Amino acid sequence: MKTAVTEPDSGTDLPTEGARPAHRLPFWVNQRLGLLVLIVALSILFGSLRPAFFDARLVLFPLLRDISTLTVVALAQMVVLSIGHMNLAVGRMAAFGALFAGFGFDRLHLPLALGLLLCLFAGCVIGALTGWIIARTGVSSFVVTLAMDFALLGLVSLLYSSLTDNAAFTTRPAGLTELRSYSLADICAGPVCGSPAIPQMTQFTVLALVVLGFLYARTRMGRELLLTGANPAAAELSGVPTGRRIILAHGLSGLLAALAGFMAAVGTGTFSASIGDDFMLPSFLGAVLGGTLLTGGVVSVIGALLGTSLVGVIRKGLDLLGVGLESLNIYLGCILLLALSADRVRTVVSYRKVVRST
Amino acid sequence: MSRRRSVLSATVTLFLLAASTAACTIKNSDDPGAADTASTRTGGGSAELADGSKTKVALVPGGAHPYFQPWKTAGAQAKKTLGLGDVTFDETAEWDQQKQNDLLSTLAARGYNAFGIFGVSPTDINSTFADLKSQGFAVASLASCPAGGTNDADFCLSTDVELAAYKAAQAAIKAMGGKGALVHLTGNNVDANTQLRMKGVQKAVKETGGKVTLLQTITDIDKDLQTAQKAVSDLLAAKGSKIQGIVSTAYNPAVAAAEAVRESGSKAKVVAIDDDAKILSSIKNGSVTATVVQNPVGQAEIGTWALALLQTKQCTMTKPGQIIDSGSFVVTKANVADYDSARQARTAELKKQFADTYLSCR
Repeated sequence: MKTAVTEPDSGTDLPTEGARPAHRLPFWVNQRLGLLVLIVALSILFGSLRPAFFDARLVLFPLLRDISTLTVVALAQMVVLSIGHMNLAVGRMAAFGALFAGFGFDRLHLPLALGLLLCLFAGCVIGALTGWIIARTGVSSFVVTLAMDFALLGLVSLLYSSLTDNAAFTTRPAGLTELRSYSLADICAGPVCGSPAIPQMTQFTVLALVVLGFLYARTRMGRELLLTGANPAAAELSGVPTGRRIILAHGLSGLLAALAGFMAAVGTGTFSASIGDDFMLPSFLGAVLGGTLLTGGVVSVIGALLGTSLVGVIRKGLDLLGVGLESLNIYLGCILLLALSADRVRTVVSYRKVVRST
Repeated sequence: MSRRRSVLSATVTLFLLAASTAACTIKNSDDPGAADTASTRTGGGSAELADGSKTKVALVPGGAHPYFQPWKTAGAQAKKTLGLGDVTFDETAEWDQQKQNDLLSTLAARGYNAFGIFGVSPTDINSTFADLKSQGFAVASLASCPAGGTNDADFCLSTDVELAAYKAAQAAIKAMGGKGALVHLTGNNVDANTQLRMKGVQKAVKETGGKVTLLQTITDIDKDLQTAQKAVSDLLAAKGSKIQGIVSTAYNPAVAAAEAVRESGSKAKVVAIDDDAKILSSIKNGSVTATVVQNPVGQAEIGTWALALLQTKQCTMTKPGQIIDSGSFVVTKANVADYDSARQARTAELKKQFADTYLSCR
C-alpha cells in the first residue's frame, strides 16, 4: 500500500492537484483522476445492480453525510502528514471537541454557532498543545499523539460520566435537528432549490476543502508546511520556523478533528464519548488513498475527498447488495487493493511510455 | 498574475459559499423530525396477521454479539409461520451509531419496511427512530430501550436492565450468605444501559444495610473475552481473598469470571448473565452459582410479529412508544434443566399482552 501511494507523485515535491507533474506524464496518470473514474465506475456498477443506489433520500443523503464527516477527518490527518507527522489522537480530539460543544449547549445554553466555535477552539488548543510538546521535546509525533490519545480517552470518559447521567449531552440547541436532516432541497434561492441528496452539513466540508486547498496551493505558509515535511533540516536552514509550523499543523489538525467530531455528533444526534472511536483508520485511508505521502511533503486536498468517497461508495454498494459482515470487510479490502494496484500499474505503464518516447 | 487570479477565485468561492448559506431561504417543507402520529383506534379486533406478504422485516443488532444469534433463527422461523415477505438479520453495524444509521437507510432502500433495532447508542437512537418513523416505517426498539425514558419507536421490547442487574446482585448476595464483599463486572462505562446496571447492583447492595459492600465496579471489559480474562485474573490476583461474590452484568466478563474462579479455586460466588453453553456447563459443575437469562428469542419472535401487524396497518399501538419488559430469569443448578419452559411461557404471555392491551387492531 505504501509503495503504491508513494509512487504517483514521487520525484516531485509539488504540493497539490493544482501543480501535478503533468509536464512529464500524460494526464490520465493523475491519481485523483483515476480515483474519480473508479468512483464513477463503481457508482454506475452498483446503480445498475441495485437501482436503489441512486435513491436520494435513503442512500445518497446518508452516504454524502458520511463522506462529508470522514473527509474532514482525513483532512485532519492530512495536515499533520504534510509535515511528516501523524496524529493518532484524531478520534479523541474529535471527542474532546464534541465534549465542549455538548457542554456549551447543555450547561452554558449557547446557541449552535457559539457551541461550534467553542468546539473548534478546544480542538485547536489540544492540537496545538500536542504540537508544542512535539516541537519542544523532539519526541516523535507517533509517541506523543499516542500518549495524547490515551490521556484524552480517560479524560473524556471521566468528564462525561461526572457531568451527565447517561454519559452523553442530549440538549439540542435550535437549528441542530435542521442541520442534521436538511438537504439542499430545503434551501432555496428564489424558486430554485438544491438537490435532496446533498446534506446541509456538506457546507463545513466544502469550506474546509477550500481553505486547505488555498493554504497549500497558494500561500507561503502552506509551502513552508510542506517543506518542513519534506526535509525539516533544509527547511530550518532556509529560515522556515519549523517549530511554529509543527504547532500550526497540529493545531489545525485538532481544529479539523473537532469539526469532524461536531459533525459526527450532529449526524447521530447527541454528544457522547464514543464519538470519534472509529476515526483513526479512515483518516489515514482517505488521505493516503488520495495521494498524500505518509513521509510528508506531498498532500492532496481533493485526494482526501476522493479517497474517502471511494471507501464510502464501496461500503454503501456492498451494503446494498446485502453482503454479510464476514464478507463485507474482505470485499472492501480486495477492492481497495485492486484500486491501488490499478493505480500503480497505470503509473508504471505510463512511465515506461514516457521513457520510451524520449 | 496567477497569484492574483487565485486570490480572486478563492474570494469568489468563499463568497458563493457564504451566500449559499446566508442568503438562501430555508424552505419550510416537511419536518423530518416530526414523528408520524397516527390516531389510535380502539376496539377488540383480531391480532392474527391477515397478510404479511408485503412486509419485509429487518432485525438489526448494534453489531456482532453472541446475544443476538437467536434472533437469526427466530426471525427465519417467524418469516415462515407468519408468511412474511422477508425477514433479514444484519449485524454489520459494527457498534457504531453512524454505521447503524447508514445500514438502516440502506435496508430501507432495499425495500425493508419494518425494523427491529438494538440501538448502539441509547442516547442517540431516538433520532434514528424518528427518522425512520417519519418515512412511514414500523420501528421497534428491541433488547434495549432509548435512554431518558422516552421512546420514539412504536414500542420497546427489552430486558429491564436495571431490574435484571438487581436480580443478579440479589442472587449473588444470597449465595454469599448475605454478607461480604461483592465485585461488579460490566461493559462500556459511557453507555446509558451500563449506568442502569450499576444502579441496579447498587440498589441490591444498599438493601443489605451495610452487610454487603460493593468492593469494586469494573467497567469497559466486555470488548472481547481476552480483555475480560485479563481484568478478572488481575482482580483475583490482587484482591482474591477479600472477594466473596462476583456479579457480572455483561457477557464476556461472565464467561471469564466463571473460568477464573474454577481455575484459581477461589471461594467467590459468581453470578453470570445469559445462557451461553459455557455458562450453563459452569452452573452444572458449580463454578457459577446462578445466571440471569434474558429472552432474545421472545424479543425477535414477538417483535417481528408485532412489527408486521403495525406495518400492514392492521393494528396500531394503543400507547405509542410503550416500553415492555421481555423478562429476565434467575437460573440456578435447581432449574437449569427446565428454565426454557418458563421463558417460553413468558413469551406466550407477552404475545397475549400485546394482543389484549398494547395493540389496537381492526
